Amino acid sequence: MATSEKLSASQSRSLKITGEEIWKNKTEKINAELFTMTYGAIVSQLCTDFQRDYNKVNDQLFSMGYNIGVRLIEDFLARTALPRCEDMIRTSEVITKCAFKIFLNITPQVTNWSPSNDAFSLILLENPLSEFVELPMDATKQLWYSNILCGVLRGALEMVQLDCDVHFVSDILRNEPQTEIRIKLNKVLKDEIPIGED
Amino acid sequence: MAIYSFWIFDKHCNCIFNREWTLAADTNSGTMNSKQNEETAKLLYGMIYSLRSITQKLSKGSNTNDVRSISTGKYRVHTYCTASGLWLVLLTDFKQQSYSQVLQYIYSHIYVKYVSHNLLSPQDFADNESEMRGQGIRKITNKKFLQSLEAFLVPMINN
Amino acid sequence: MSGPPAALTEKQKLQQQFQLFQESLPKVNQLALTLLLNETIPLSMAVQKRLNESELSKMENDDELQINDIDLKDKLYITPKLDLPSHKLIQEISKCNEEDKLKVIERLRNIGFQIGNKMSELLVFTNNPNLEFKDMDLLLIMKFICRDVWKQLYGKQIDNLKTNHRGTFYLFDYDYKPIQPFSIEGDNSDEKTQEKELELVKPFLEIPVGIINGVLSSLGYNKEDVSCEATFVDRPDEKSKAAFPKGISFHVQILNQ
Repeated sequence: MATSEKLSASQSRSLKITGEEIWKNKTEKINAELFTMTYGAIVSQLCTDFQRDYNKVNDQLFSMGYNIGVRLIEDFLARTALPRCEDMIRTSEVITKCAFKIFLNITPQVTNWSPSNDAFSLILLENPLSEFVELPMDATKQLWYSNILCGVLRGALEMVQLDCDVHFVSDILRNEPQTEIRIKLNKVLKDEIPIGED
Repeated sequence: MAIYSFWIFDKHCNCIFNREWTLAADTNSGTMNSKQNEETAKLLYGMIYSLRSITQKLSKGSNTNDVRSISTGKYRVHTYCTASGLWLVLLTDFKQQSYSQVLQYIYSHIYVKYVSHNLLSPQDFADNESEMRGQGIRKITNKKFLQSLEAFLVPMINN
Repeated sequence: MSGPPAALTEKQKLQQQFQLFQESLPKVNQLALTLLLNETIPLSMAVQKRLNESELSKMENDDELQINDIDLKDKLYITPKLDLPSHKLIQEISKCNEEDKLKVIERLRNIGFQIGNKMSELLVFTNNPNLEFKDMDLLLIMKFICRDVWKQLYGKQIDNLKTNHRGTFYLFDYDYKPIQPFSIEGDNSDEKTQEKELELVKPFLEIPVGIINGVLSSLGYNKEDVSCEATFVDRPDEKSKAAFPKGISFHVQILNQ
């Protein structure tokens, strides 16, 4: 697979400006702590429901995120009018500079590219879902607190024909050094053609 | 009449909405999601698909170039295609060059609001594989979508 | 010739400080909160289904593939099992049996309760010069809910508050924000479909019910002494066609008053 060049500085800047402009002028804002609290109530309820079986909580958060993501993508595309990305490099820039900026007002870093540029990591330096949250001991070993984000990303990417694995690698909530989400492209889904036309 | 009809196609090659206005004098005229338009829908889909496909090939593989309008002798077809595989299509006369802002408005303020953010509505109109690849028949039928669309487009029909 | 502007009163200075403080807090897009809140309703049904399924498999002694080896699990990433789409889960709530339905509703009220609890803590500790929690009686607490809690969560206040001054309150929200885009598939000009639409949307009201309970609880009114129910009501005047057809009335009763 040919190595794509990194996005030119001007392309990158224009995505950044798009994201910032939409955040600044076309968004109704609320205090992040409300959002943190609401999410905390949801995770807490799930932990009670699944009796602290954190694998089940992780899966449920992922599934919830997926259902949000498949609809959120339309809102995102309507706001930004962005076309499909040519490659994962551009995808990573759109995700961090536009999507995260517009919805959560954060810009994760992109690192750890795979040799064939089909996988990368997002490093979240701040996370409005988990601000001031402390996990109980047993949860620090198994719970991916913000797993809803993985579901949202997977659902949204799937709707633009990118079949990706999205999962947490580490989380500062677990006393790990950083919060890292890995996104790996499995395959580009083929656009459907009507039966009888192939 | 300025606007003849409006169509929405989804990523499964299905027409999930159509509205045709027939009489300039009566804006309640015409059809909505009617079976009569099945054939037309498929032909319209095919025409847009072929031209988009060729356009993308001519742009040396880059998918940032896309069809915006197609003119025939009798009407102009305006298309707005999203990265999520949704096509919003308007058939109009020749008075106005571009309707892309109209289509963009319909997408952001009517489709996203009353389909994507409406949890009572499906987001994916194909329930299973047998409804994909152009074989599906489900349509957008919720009243808020229909009313908002009428309210927005009807004033433009006789421009 | 006008003199220098009058000095701000102490209260005005505090209000200004409070404004600046509020503006400096980290923000997120309101849509993120709305989508999160709305998705809790299908989530609640999805959880109930999963709980029912695992009860069933426990009884049938199904062999579930357990990957306990942590190393293996990391290398073998399997996409988690997904639930039905949101709109189908919502339909299931109105179709499931009474027992499950009650559990789904209770789950939603619990989530709302926790939100309400934490919200009052949040707002109590923000040094808002407009709020004096020391001498808050029930009426002031209800006004707090109507103005501050609702404004924070939904960007608008409760439209109307009625009380008999003996522990019963009616809070009217004629444009409850989270449900405004909701609209049932199919022609809803007949009564049956309209009723079905309200039935599908009803569970969404359990979250604000829980929130009201949660706020009252954190300000000293125990769960057992508070009863809160939500119903659909007609709007008092003709509003634009684009809004959800009904408004909401929250009936709050404080027992032992």
